[in-house]
Amino acid sequence: MNALVVLLLAAIGIGVGYGVYARSIDRKIIQPDPSKATPARMYMDGVDFIPANRNVLFGYQFKSIAALGPILGPIIALQWGWLPALLWIILGAFFIGWVQDYSSIIVGVREEGQTFGALSYRLISPRARNILLAFIYVYLLMIMGAFGITVGFTLMTNPAVPLGVILVTLAGLLAGQMTYKWKQDIILTTVVTVVVALVGIWVGTLKPVKDFFSALYGLQVVEGKPVSPNLFLQVTRAGFIGSLLVLVFCYLGAVLPIWRWAQPINYVSFWIVLFGVLGGVLGLLIGRPSLGDFPAFQQFTAPAGPLWPMLFVTIACGAISGWHSLVSSSGTARQLEKETDALYVGGGAMFLEMFFAIIAFLAATAGVGFAKYAELKGWTVPAVIFSQGLAIFLNYWGLDAALGQGFGVAYGSVFLTIMALTIMHLVVRFMRVASAEALGDRFPILRNVHVGTIIALLFTIFLIWFAPFLRIWGIFGAANQLMASLALLLITLWLMSKAKNYQWTFWPFAFMFVTTVGALLWQAYDSFFVKLPAQKTWDGMVAFITMGVLALILVVLAVILVVDGVRSIFRYRAELAKARR
Amino acid sequence: MAEPKSKWRNFLDGVKSVLYGMAGHDMARFALKTRGSMEHLFILVTMGDLLGVPILPPYYSLRLLPYVVPQIATWKRRMLRERDLTDALA
Repeated sequence: MNALVVLLLAAIGIGVGYGVYARSIDRKIIQPDPSKATPARMYMDGVDFIPANRNVLFGYQFKSIAALGPILGPIIALQWGWLPALLWIILGAFFIGWVQDYSSIIVGVREEGQTFGALSYRLISPRARNILLAFIYVYLLMIMGAFGITVGFTLMTNPAVPLGVILVTLAGLLAGQMTYKWKQDIILTTVVTVVVALVGIWVGTLKPVKDFFSALYGLQVVEGKPVSPNLFLQVTRAGFIGSLLVLVFCYLGAVLPIWRWAQPINYVSFWIVLFGVLGGVLGLLIGRPSLGDFPAFQQFTAPAGPLWPMLFVTIACGAISGWHSLVSSSGTARQLEKETDALYVGGGAMFLEMFFAIIAFLAATAGVGFAKYAELKGWTVPAVIFSQGLAIFLNYWGLDAALGQGFGVAYGSVFLTIMALTIMHLVVRFMRVASAEALGDRFPILRNVHVGTIIALLFTIFLIWFAPFLRIWGIFGAANQLMASLALLLITLWLMSKAKNYQWTFWPFAFMFVTTVGALLWQAYDSFFVKLPAQKTWDGMVAFITMGVLALILVVLAVILVVDGVRSIFRYRAELAKARR
Repeated sequence: MAEPKSKWRNFLDGVKSVLYGMAGHDMARFALKTRGSMEHLFILVTMGDLLGVPILPPYYSLRLLPYVVPQIATWKRRMLRERDLTDALA
């Protein structure tokens, strides 16, 4: 099948999903009123509630929901074959993804800008809010582990990448200095810093630089592949240096003022990512590659587990992700100028993210191809597969010919690295605040910025050094999908409380809940009864015990939540029946 | 002839807004939030008695009162609104 056919299928999915299904729900059930005052207008305080233009909000929403999830998830899921992955991306976004994002905004708007924490307290039970916070914490921890392994062990170990990342970071710092201290024009700042960053990525691919990092990593060619010596556990010298660079970056991101580090680096990184995506799409359209011999269906039980339920937690963002509901309710709903903008902003951004996931899917299938995917075990190194696929797309319009062999792969790797790091430093920041808020009264030392950050980074380094990537990705996806279940449950309860049709959110909730709990139970079973007995080293045992325990904790939290949720459903149904009488 | 040009202009404006939303909106929001938080903190220190914070309003608070009046409603609402960690994600 040609890649353009896949793009066409995705476009049809978007056209019918957004143009027909979403619009009909919007018009018939939600019935937005453009003249109704939204919280952004009613409570405008210049801090939390500020009305924003719908196009600006669309960009904000998309940027807030798209990270590594929609890129790595589809590539990992190709271990089951391309057809299940493609179907889940399109159908998941069609029936569940946009439903969650759009209705999270609507609930936030109609409930005076309340966050999901407050809503779960009111609509489900007081403990539901604590469960939500626990999901968020585990989810963030898993982000740190999964992204940390990807960056520290996979991307940074390529000797053409570290200098590029360091120079992009320095360009970001320059952007902060130019904007906030030297008060320079934003266009000048953007041009100067983005050019510095692009040149930096190119310099990183030059031979002397690569030789320097190869020597630093102790790389030696064994059977045609560069291998770094093992230092301890399963950590090589390259992986050790890569993971330390991740920690330093995140530490500075968490303790420095946000305008000095996180914001300007994210700003410059945005342009690098944008150019990469646009260049890749352009190459895809020029090259029109085919999926070739990539099998449509490979096997029901793959290395990550059985297709059901594991596929549905492996691809989270791109199809449906609980994270989106938090962004939609806490951030976007408080900035919506008109109720009628909700579908464009929430639904539109979700469908665009689906398209983003399809591009990543094509980078692996039509770009890299099956032989290389199987040889590299692409499900364990999805970042490498994506950067190679992106490089192939970029080469369709001659990027490597212009800037030297290997530039495309280095660009793709830096693109993914900064995309991950710009999320990770904000996650550490949030974890620091969360630990200070939750335990600061009992342990005042946690209120110290450095202590809170170091504790979050110790958890992170534990996961990076010990946890197997596929297992951590599975639990990351499951925590994310449990948040999606909670969001869909909340939305269902809200629709019931307003005597509106709730079938379109209830069935997605039921599917996501059963699937995610199934995925977690399978992971706990596999960790304790299959992988653990096979371990011969203590670090392997520690890893699988940790993963199994985390899966079981999430199952227990999910069951408590659904018990409370079902009670609330019966309560609302009784109230509805009473009102009808 | 004028209509297609205006549509094109609208399209370009739309693209510009989307790019701004992706690249700079968060930075602008953060700057506004910082300023707003500082102002609200200042009002709390000087006019805290309006919320029942036990401070004796000094003479200067009365001098500042006319300047604070337009913000009192939104300030009170923000100070008294229940919050949890999910607010920090916004």
